[in-house]
Amino acid sequence: MNSVTELLATAEQLLSSWIQSQETPGPNRLDVVVAVYDLLPAVQVLQQSGWGYLAAITGLDLGPEAGQIEVLYHFCSGAAVVTLRVPIERDAAVVPSLCGAIPSAGVFERELMEMFGVTVDGAPNTDRLFLPDEWPEGVYPLRKDFEPNP
Amino acid sequence: MHTSEHSEKPEKFIIPMGPQHPALKEPGHFEFTVAGEVVTDASVRLGYAHRGIEKATETRNWAQNLYLLERVCGICSHVHATAYSLGVEQLAGVEAPPRAQAIRTLVAELERIHSHLLWLGVAAHEAGFDTLFMYSWRDRETVMDILEELTGNRVNYSANVLGGVKVDVNDEHAGAIRRGLDFLETRTRHYLEVVTSDPLFVRRTRGIGVMTAGQATRLGVIGPTARASGVARDVRIEAPYAAYPDFPVASVLAEAGDLEARFVVRLQELFESFRVIRQILDNLPPGELEVKRMPRRIKPGEAISRVEAPRGELFYFIKSNGTDMPERVKIRAPTLCNMASVLTLTVGHHLADVPMILVGIDPCFSCNDRGVIVRHGDGDRGDGDHGDRGHEHWTWERLRQYGIDYYGGQER
Repeated sequence: MNSVTELLATAEQLLSSWIQSQETPGPNRLDVVVAVYDLLPAVQVLQQSGWGYLAAITGLDLGPEAGQIEVLYHFCSGAAVVTLRVPIERDAAVVPSLCGAIPSAGVFERELMEMFGVTVDGAPNTDRLFLPDEWPEGVYPLRKDFEPNP
Repeated sequence: MHTSEHSEKPEKFIIPMGPQHPALKEPGHFEFTVAGEVVTDASVRLGYAHRGIEKATETRNWAQNLYLLERVCGICSHVHATAYSLGVEQLAGVEAPPRAQAIRTLVAELERIHSHLLWLGVAAHEAGFDTLFMYSWRDRETVMDILEELTGNRVNYSANVLGGVKVDVNDEHAGAIRRGLDFLETRTRHYLEVVTSDPLFVRRTRGIGVMTAGQATRLGVIGPTARASGVARDVRIEAPYAAYPDFPVASVLAEAGDLEARFVVRLQELFESFRVIRQILDNLPPGELEVKRMPRRIKPGEAISRVEAPRGELFYFIKSNGTDMPERVKIRAPTLCNMASVLTLTVGHHLADVPMILVGIDPCFSCNDRGVIVRHGDGDRGDGDHGDRGHEHWTWERLRQYGIDYYGGQER
């Protein structure tokens, strides 16, 4: 069994060509910023080398003033968690779909699309997953400027 | 396969299932495309129980959220509260005392017992084996009584507070838990024998819904569903939290990857739960139940907290902005990961196997009776509803019965 340190070192090495900046928020974590155009190759290299599995995709709206959304792809292997942090423009929020490499990403991507208004380019299924059919178009409830009780 | 007179192409039959039923915690809507008896495609639509909890956390303070998040799930409420508490404590830089961590672990394992026994009953019911359903739910009351005695509640035990727990385990509790476990251990041994030897039941599970280790890994399946395919994914073992470093659990794996293996893994896991609970009771660390001071405002930062819910890994991402309310709480519950396997595994199986494959991942929405509409391409099998030619209304009950009849069984 690889130790957490070794697992994180392996991931860091695998991802080295795409890392723009990195942090270690905890002893078991590696948080790297990856440009949106580097996301697919970075995910593919993790996938091909069998490093962990995609545990979740988190959307983070930094707010209208910051004008950015961050999409966090969390990969887990044992106790180690690697987060690929992809900053995108809030007004032109597009990320590529991971489904080609990881079919199970589909449900996470559908949630990201409807909750944050992020377009997932190449997603095989863009139907709503959680929001009701009558939910208005273009209203994204997990964006910071959404008012739950207007 | 029915074909239309006007078209050479075979028509697609799509069987929608779900979504609504008041008894459901997590209603889901599935569409199964069938060619005769065989499922050729499947899709899912969720969200019928979507309550906007992630958004709601952003307008409640850290302590209030504990009570909100415990209500995400009515079966595994404690693991949600535990995942959240551990994440917030990590952000605040505090650590709950050892006694609190041990009690969190104890309640988590009691919850696993109740959840697995609940599932066993539901799964048996879907197969038409109502005797097993009744017995397993009767026995489950033992653990429900223990939980009630310990925490005052049967469902939302509310054992956690930020920085510790608010329930203590005294000798009286310990005695009651030990007696309950002795009884349940005998019963679990019996159930394990029943699900692996009853010829009618085994026909519904052995070799059905087979998922190889490779498939399980590719589909991102977690929890007992993964372990039944030989994939050793268990957060308690891989990334021990709370008191699991001091009270380790052993991995329970099966290789077969079929429905029977999912029964065997869940039941065998119970023996590990019984063992760990006894070990905790024998070695309960003395001391405080909570930290001296849990800050009201949490310093900015991000935390990831993973725990092993009865259905698999529960993933929390928590971001703090330095105030008394979180900036963002992301919850990824295990059923979402396992759902993809239902869509894949049902393809190629008979429609009659769908209820059991669905229930095999323990998705929490099986004990229900739901409206199903069967659309026929040429509308030649309208079921008495002549005004609506081409549409046939099925209930979940009818699909369940269809499965039972298909296998020539009788309700027992």
